[in-house]
Amino acid sequence: MIDERDEVIERVRSVLREAPIVDASAKARLLVAVAAERERTAVTPRFWSRPGVRAAAVSGLVAAALVVGWLEWPKLRSDGPGAGATVASPVGLDGARAPASLARITTDLAALRSVQLVFRDPAAHRVSVVGDFTEWDAHRAPMTRDSASGLWSVTVALRPGRHVYAFLVDDTIWVQDPRAMEAPDVDFGRPGSVLLVGQP
Amino acid sequence: MSRSRPLRLVHGEAPLSLSPPDGESNGADERSLIIHAAKGGDVRAFATLVDIYYARCLRFALHMLFDRFDAEEAVQDTFVRVYRAFPKYREDASFEAWLFRILANRCRTAGARTRRRTDVVHYGEVPERPARVHHDLALAWREEIELALAALPIEQREAFLMHHVEDLSYDDMSRATGQGVSALKMRVKRACDALRAALTESDDD
Repeated sequence: MIDERDEVIERVRSVLREAPIVDASAKARLLVAVAAERERTAVTPRFWSRPGVRAAAVSGLVAAALVVGWLEWPKLRSDGPGAGATVASPVGLDGARAPASLARITTDLAALRSVQLVFRDPAAHRVSVVGDFTEWDAHRAPMTRDSASGLWSVTVALRPGRHVYAFLVDDTIWVQDPRAMEAPDVDFGRPGSVLLVGQP
Repeated sequence: MSRSRPLRLVHGEAPLSLSPPDGESNGADERSLIIHAAKGGDVRAFATLVDIYYARCLRFALHMLFDRFDAEEAVQDTFVRVYRAFPKYREDASFEAWLFRILANRCRTAGARTRRRTDVVHYGEVPERPARVHHDLALAWREEIELALAALPIEQREAFLMHHVEDLSYDDMSRATGQGVSALKMRVKRACDALRAALTESDDD
């Protein structure tokens, strides 16, 4: 038998136990955040996060670059840019090509290839590319819409190799690239597309 | 081009079923399998766990924080932390207790942040109880409940929600909060007393 007081609590319970409205985009953002965490932990060996290890490695890399740069620079300068093996310059630089030997030693940025991704959805309000190269972060590669053609596009800098990606439409709808191969491996239950980037 | 694939589908497959036709124990077994697979790094199983627990976590966070943005953020942080800490999770322990421990911590942190934010807001003189015209009695009742819930001390609110809304046992609540069972029972009792008093008073008005 429920007395008056218990009845009050039962009424409170019945109101508070109602399922909340779930915003699909919030849930999508959650999955993207978890995917980013997965990517981060997958590429970062545990020892790398120990205090001192990262600093020592960076110091070593800088020192090596300085030493090799000091040894190589006269030769490179005499050969002149473009005289030897060259690689594509990283996206965002001025287009000048860098000597491959120096680029490979100091950083692998010069190996990046510029790739334009295009997507057609005239009804979309917002489109972005998510993939292993954005660490599945929906904010890193927003696409811009060309008003004349209705095409969404973005240019990203990618390392040579295989990449998996998809388009995120209006923060909620996950779409494979219809022009690309479907990735056989799945990421958080969502279909992806494969992009192969060749060596420069 | 199709743009209607829901996020949880895997190449057109249906998501894992959690409602076996032959009883609750099989459901619990299946859930254990999903937790085991997620702990082992199966991303599809983890996405299924999100599907299972997202709404419950959001409900708890909304009742703790009373702000949708803060609640969604707390739930997101919770699942990212669950993913990160899964290797340390012992499968013989209650998953729900572990999940709600992380969620309650995130809510406490977010609540403290919100209180700091609102501490600087001065409203001046406001009536103790704003005058409202309620055409919808159910809506009025809901608002009264939310006001009464918000007036509870945070540890009482947390205990009440865990026990009466999320159906956690006192043992699981103890694991989730780090408090003893007796203390939690006392918190729930005090919360019930306060809610009864506030809502009975409301009915009398």
